[in-house]
Amino acid sequence: MGMIRTWLLALLAVGFFVAPGRLAAGAEAGVDFQHQIRPLLSDRCFACHGPDEAERYGGFRMDQIESALGRAASGRTPIVAGDRGASEVYRRLTAEEEHVRMPPASINKPLSAEEIEAIGQWIDEGAVWEEHWSFVAPVRPEMPVVEGAEWVRNEIDHFILARLEREGLEPQAEADRATLIRRVAFDLTGLPPTLEEVDAFLADDSPDAYERLVDRLLERHHFGEHQARFWLDAARYGDTHGLHLDNFREMWPYRDWVVEAFNRNLPYDQFTIEQLAGDLLPDPTRDQLIATGFNRAHVTTNEGGSITEEVLMRNVVDRVVTTGTVFMALTMDCTRCHDHKYDPLTAQDFYSLYAFFNSLDGDPMDGNRKDPAPVVSVWTDSQQEELADLRSSIESLEADIARRVAEYEYAEPEEAVSEAVVAPEERVWIDDHLPPGARPEGEWRFVGEPVFRGERSWQVTAEGRDQVLFTGASDPLQMAEGDVWFVHVYLDPEDPPRQLMLQWNAGSWEHRAFWGGDYIDWGQLGTPSRREMGPLPTGGEWVRLEVPAQHVGLAAGARVHGWAFTQFGGTAYWDAAGLVTTAGRQPVYRSLAKWWSDQRAGGGEGLPEPLLAWAQREGDTLSEDEQRRVRDHFIENAYAGAREELAPLHQQLHDAEQRIQQMESSAATTLVFRERAEPRPAHILERGEYDQVGREVPRATPAMLPPMPDDAPTNRLGLAQWLVEPAHPLTARVAVNRFWQQVFGTGLVKTADDFGSQGERPSHPQLLDWLAVEFRESGWDVKGLYKQLVMSATYRQASRIDPRAGQRDPENRLLARGPRFRLDAEMLRDQALSVSGLLVDQPGGPSVKPPQPDGLWFAVGYSGSNTVRFQADQGSDKVHRRTLYTFIKRTAPPPQLSTFDAPSREACTVRRDRTNTPQQALLLMNDPQYVEAARGLAERTLREAGASAAARAGYLFRLCTARWPSDAELAELVALYGDHRDVFQESPQAAEQLLAVGELPADFPAEAPEAAAWILVANMVLNLDEVVTKN
Amino acid sequence: MDPRHEYARTMTRRHFFGRTGMGLGAAALASLLPPAPASAATATTGGLAGLPHFAPQAKRAIFLFMAGGPSQMDLLDYKPKMEARYDQDLPDSIRRGQRLTTMTSGQSRFPIAPSMYRFQQHGESGAWVSELLPYTARMVDDLAIVRSVHTEAINHDPGITYLCTGSQLPGRPSLGAWLSYGLGSANQDLPAFVVMTATWTGRAEAQALYNRLWGAGFFPSKHQGVALRSQGDPVLFLSNPPGVTGADRRRMLDTLARLNEQTYQTFADPETQARIAQYEMAFRMQTSVPELTDISGEPDYILDRYGPDVHKPGTFAASCLLARRMAERDVRFVQIFHRGWDQHGNIAGDLPNQCRDVDQPCWALIQDLKQRGLLDDTLVIWGGEFGRTIYCQGTLTRENYGRDHHPRCFPVWLAGGGVRPGIVYGETDDFCYNITENPVHIHDLNATILHCLGIDHRRFSHRFQGLDIRLTGVEPQHPVLDILRSA
Repeated sequence: MGMIRTWLLALLAVGFFVAPGRLAAGAEAGVDFQHQIRPLLSDRCFACHGPDEAERYGGFRMDQIESALGRAASGRTPIVAGDRGASEVYRRLTAEEEHVRMPPASINKPLSAEEIEAIGQWIDEGAVWEEHWSFVAPVRPEMPVVEGAEWVRNEIDHFILARLEREGLEPQAEADRATLIRRVAFDLTGLPPTLEEVDAFLADDSPDAYERLVDRLLERHHFGEHQARFWLDAARYGDTHGLHLDNFREMWPYRDWVVEAFNRNLPYDQFTIEQLAGDLLPDPTRDQLIATGFNRAHVTTNEGGSITEEVLMRNVVDRVVTTGTVFMALTMDCTRCHDHKYDPLTAQDFYSLYAFFNSLDGDPMDGNRKDPAPVVSVWTDSQQEELADLRSSIESLEADIARRVAEYEYAEPEEAVSEAVVAPEERVWIDDHLPPGARPEGEWRFVGEPVFRGERSWQVTAEGRDQVLFTGASDPLQMAEGDVWFVHVYLDPEDPPRQLMLQWNAGSWEHRAFWGGDYIDWGQLGTPSRREMGPLPTGGEWVRLEVPAQHVGLAAGARVHGWAFTQFGGTAYWDAAGLVTTAGRQPVYRSLAKWWSDQRAGGGEGLPEPLLAWAQREGDTLSEDEQRRVRDHFIENAYAGAREELAPLHQQLHDAEQRIQQMESSAATTLVFRERAEPRPAHILERGEYDQVGREVPRATPAMLPPMPDDAPTNRLGLAQWLVEPAHPLTARVAVNRFWQQVFGTGLVKTADDFGSQGERPSHPQLLDWLAVEFRESGWDVKGLYKQLVMSATYRQASRIDPRAGQRDPENRLLARGPRFRLDAEMLRDQALSVSGLLVDQPGGPSVKPPQPDGLWFAVGYSGSNTVRFQADQGSDKVHRRTLYTFIKRTAPPPQLSTFDAPSREACTVRRDRTNTPQQALLLMNDPQYVEAARGLAERTLREAGASAAARAGYLFRLCTARWPSDAELAELVALYGDHRDVFQESPQAAEQLLAVGELPADFPAEAPEAAAWILVANMVLNLDEVVTKN
Repeated sequence: MDPRHEYARTMTRRHFFGRTGMGLGAAALASLLPPAPASAATATTGGLAGLPHFAPQAKRAIFLFMAGGPSQMDLLDYKPKMEARYDQDLPDSIRRGQRLTTMTSGQSRFPIAPSMYRFQQHGESGAWVSELLPYTARMVDDLAIVRSVHTEAINHDPGITYLCTGSQLPGRPSLGAWLSYGLGSANQDLPAFVVMTATWTGRAEAQALYNRLWGAGFFPSKHQGVALRSQGDPVLFLSNPPGVTGADRRRMLDTLARLNEQTYQTFADPETQARIAQYEMAFRMQTSVPELTDISGEPDYILDRYGPDVHKPGTFAASCLLARRMAERDVRFVQIFHRGWDQHGNIAGDLPNQCRDVDQPCWALIQDLKQRGLLDDTLVIWGGEFGRTIYCQGTLTRENYGRDHHPRCFPVWLAGGGVRPGIVYGETDDFCYNITENPVHIHDLNATILHCLGIDHRRFSHRFQGLDIRLTGVEPQHPVLDILRSA
């Protein structure tokens, strides 16, 4: 042990010595300020002699050279350029006495002798100062000259090779084609290539074969699906609210918007603008509104006892911090409580940005609802079709009515006619759907048989007492004198209920009527809270039940917004429920003259314009045209003689309109940003506390960055436009760095979330700038950038680790080899589904719940949460979708994701770790979904490959790796198959058990022992290092 | 075993040890070391160089987390003077502008609800303990009861996240993740940080927990707590698929290792070696975890000590027994979450049940550790995310009442590794509302826990987004040395 420890330490020391961050970029003689000095000053000095005014000691700043060259409070000069001996800084760094020496022992960050020497040398060389690299706008650098130009394929390679040549390293040759197609397919689509694609690529020896492959891959909708998941980590998208109850949140249309944005190659500047400020664009489209979900995707709470102002503050802080990280890689969170310790950012900057984001037109608490306002509705294709049908049928109904009215032959009766009569109307409230706005409870099961009216009835089967109900109808029914409730019921003659009960909610549920036995003891018998209506209706036929509204205590004027269908035992089907009412009904007349004079007497109340104005006009004169319109209105709405003809049409019209409303209220929604009419003022919050309100600050961008353009509006739109201005030093760099990271595993700036002075310097500063400028000037062309990355020779290198380069550069920051690292969680699962042929490649829509072990939600969930119990979806179209579509409960994310380093989506994440743990091994070996994938892979192999074990093993292996196994590998696979088959032949029962794992029944063209053995071979192959890795 | 395989496996092992010049990943190497004997585990894998900072008093810790906010004046903080103030309003001079949750901030009055439970002094320390905790009362001389812990959070989600991760907002690593990151694992076959979520019998509607409470935050996910479950596989996906035996798995892993070795020949990527080692550890866990959770070998007198619930998987009692078994196996940090302590109403109905769930098992755990000599180097912590108000929430009667959240004072007890036994630390006022002596912020508590494990919390930080982040926050904090032996 001891020996190994020592050896390990030695190894670590070597690694430290050659860490690429230490490899000087400039590498000319002399000290490199950006690389060697600035990080030291930042880390050891800025906290007390830097941007934070409140914590600045000694009256000078080390982050501004003018200050450091001037006089400190002590009267001494911190730095005298060219003379370390005269520089107080150097004296203090080298002081013997602990109380004089800097940095103070208490901060626990001593400087090494080499570091002090470097600072001394820098002072001696003139203390030349440069602005922090990332705060200066990038300019297109010169292309470096390289010797090995034949290796170079595009501009990227110039920069990479120049650096390698300086380091005395050599790049690798291009990877073999099988490796290359698998690598690029994963990087562009997140999926492995199919065998057909591999074969086609291998067979294509034209010089542009690879480029055409890349172009094909970029056009797949898988490109957007793959890109989206990186972005969704950053946007902290989830399917629950994330705090306290952690209830369901409906937000997937935003996820789909992101996918689509990448697929249609929405320029990144527009991508930025629409997400930050789509609602402020002129006439925003629904898609642009959906995009603003970016600023609503943060976690929210509705915890009882929360203080609204504090919750508001936390929501806004999340928006500021996330925007800072995602677009600028600035660690804004530091400035929430005080000025930044390292970067020239102040608390004022923070709260000036805060002012852009604090005026959401909605409650900061989520109400535990899936759709805390503001939201927009989103339609599926089939819904859109239905909507169009409904609208056109409304149109034709209206035309039909208008025609009938026009053609109606009306003659004023000769004699005076009787009084106007108010005819009740039968208003069906629930038919094939619940009324608009209704919040259902219980299991509303709509069935197609038996049906009384329309297409569906709803079935209630009860063991003991059970019910379905809704509340919250957005258009409550208002009672009038004499109204009668009705519903149609069909009792299952085999299994009749023992009691039926109807309950209405007009503020409370104390309005009940029942038939049959008195088993349900709610309310008080013999009062409106529990009226006995008589025996149960006959079973096996549709029977209409009626209840006078007054009988259950619903007086005229009461407004009913909820209805419950309750029963004790048995099965009942319900249909066509509603109210026979006179509420809101205009009386009908037999005489136009009488009607019009009544309208005039009543001041035209209830008439639409312009009839209203005419009814109120002095003197009873109507032009001919006006007379015609009055007559038409009368015929259509108030003439008793036309009721019979027109009422059914009106009912149809009403039904269609109600259906549209119902669709509106049940459509998928997604959270969006909308600005309040009056922006909230923003104040500096002392120490970041919501109740420590300091001075008011206006909206403004951080002072150290270029100003907003003069013509930009002072709102989120202006802020977004400012971010994508050419003068902005960060946005383009940060974006290209993240794309680079996705492909190469590590960003050119490793700290993709921090471009500030505490972040790591870029490994290739000029390349980063070149890419950033190129990206911006290309029109922020994301696919174009991707193509440049994967077309480069740098990317196409073999990924074998050359011993020398491996030692010099274990992290492959210099890229003397191609990228090689473990696939992300989503790619692993998608690969397994894809190679096994199980993948259901259906884009978009609500998130799905593939199986996971029981109890994961219940172990942590709030008892009253609507996500406390996990119930797996059923059916391939749900459980075999790409992992992007898996439902993410943020307080208990799916283990298939979290075990492989996917974030919980509670907070913005722009880079994932890549760990290697035994839990990962257990999951890949034993998770039923992966076992099922192994089964699918085996099944497919037996169906598609030749009959020999070797042919099968080779085929299976190639499905997963894109290459043929070597002879030795093949021998291993065949031997493994043989051994497992022998074992399963001994215990065929075990084979049957293994075959039964999965959503669908197994379908093998082989005996069980053979099939089971192949499943285990497939299971092993899916666990191979080569298969879980992008090579 | 097939001699072919045996030969190959030996070769593979020899091969690993032979390949020293090639940047073999530390994790891979560590996992190849022979597993330490369960009792005398000194070998540590992972962890930071330079840690522990000083000789630790405790090698491991067990945190018994009472989620919801136990009512301190009904349990451990005796307030006899309140009896005379029944139904009187809490004086403003005591409340002093303390912000209230919006569950009671709208109440027209804040009537004092004295505890309905009898308190007695116990042990040599003379600590006052309520009749609801008879077993805790028997062991007060083993405990350091700190009555003066305080926090700023007034609601559950931020409060529990704060205590468990040092920040009220999601995103930071949990205490156990910090320990795994800093100290590594002392056991080759089990995770360094294990979490159990126990069942409860008090308030049915219990506050949620969140995976972030044992999450890795910005650390690599290998530091996150591994949930030891009472239903299904104790560790996720531990069991082989139906029909697949351990021998089948061994056979498959042998091929896997050989093929991966060839991959290593091709790419020379140390991650491949690490992966081989992780698969071997997974295989070992398939044995070591069932061994851990199989309590059939425990003698009856031990089981009886934990009470009848110990036979029900998933109870707090069963979890405590497993915690002891993990302490024996040198699992670095075990955390048991027991929910249901959020008594906004019905204290009379729910609190006795909550106490019955935990009281005897806590005592049994301490006795059991003591008996095995493990208490000396195992730190045990008991407490929740905040306390409760002396004033009543809802209707006040002599027989029943409820209490809202209270952040300004609440008790935590500690025992074992490094803790001075038999002391009561910190004072609160007569209303159990404000601390009058020796306040202990939750960051101080965490600093104390780290201290017991040999870590100077000020020097224990991780660079994230440009900041050196500590579990204990940016303000100066102090471990409570007064409650430690070494002070």
